[in-house]
Amino acid sequence: MNDDELMAGVRATFQILDPVPAAVLAAARASIAWRAPAARLAELEHDRGGRAAGVRGGRARTLTFTCPDATVEIEVSPDGRFREIHGRLVPSAAALVEVRHRDLPPGGITARTEPAGMFWLPRVPAGLVSLILRLDDGTSVVTSWIRL
Amino acid sequence: MARRDDTDELVVRARDGDGDAWARLVERHSGLLWSIARSYGLNDADAGDAVQTTWLRLVERIDELREPAAAACWLATTARHESLRLARRRGRALPTVPAPREPEPDPARVVAARERLGMVGAALERLPLRCRTLLRLFALAPSHAELAAALGIPVGSVGPTRARCLESLRRLVP
Repeated sequence: MNDDELMAGVRATFQILDPVPAAVLAAARASIAWRAPAARLAELEHDRGGRAAGVRGGRARTLTFTCPDATVEIEVSPDGRFREIHGRLVPSAAALVEVRHRDLPPGGITARTEPAGMFWLPRVPAGLVSLILRLDDGTSVVTSWIRL
Repeated sequence: MARRDDTDELVVRARDGDGDAWARLVERHSGLLWSIARSYGLNDADAGDAVQTTWLRLVERIDELREPAAAACWLATTARHESLRLARRRGRALPTVPAPREPEPDPARVVAARERLGMVGAALERLPLRCRTLLRLFALAPSHAELAAALGIPVGSVGPTRARCLESLRRLVP
């Protein structure tokens, strides 16, 4: 058996023993739908807490996303099976904030920023989440995907 | 190992809105990404998360990816980082080379695989876990560059490592 035949055998073995689940492939195929070409990407800069930090039982998790001209800070608290997000857009701007999640329809969970840029998103499902902030000036910011 | 790869072209076409090109990217690379996640000992749910996050990261980046030709390496590196992040959160020990841990396959599938795959499948079972995992990545990576990205090792150490594991496998195949 030459090298190529051996490698083909290895490939075939794992394809049978541990194939990529169909649901994983389907989710990967569907992920292109989340593309937001005109939006600025705010990347995760800090991810703190989750256990020690915070008040009363200290279970809030704080995440900071940044892009060149904006910062999105969120605090995530558990709410049974859901998550509750308190956030802030800096510098503050009037915006519609929407949760992006595989199990949510477009516009499923939204909030308007308040004068100081604060927003509140209740009952966010656990899992991979990204926020899109549509500013009233016509621009948008998306946060990088994170697991909540 | 040196099969021609038009991943760069698929990335450019997907960027232009070609859904089929995206689907082909997913089909071509998901096997390697899944294997990378497994090489960190991730279970089904976590491995699925690592792979899904990797694709979502590509969607985030696809418009600004400067070198579409490097997309395959980028995917492998991203999958490694996401797997590492999840493995850390689960508190697993982390060696510099991924700690291979195979999932526990369903016995019926193992029997079926043995019957269908014969000698190579049986020989693989007798290899040390590390070699088995490395060979799996070797079999799926289009080139040494992707493999180096998947393992986080220099491209120059890929060839010798592959040769050693392949030789161990060859000795076990009658």
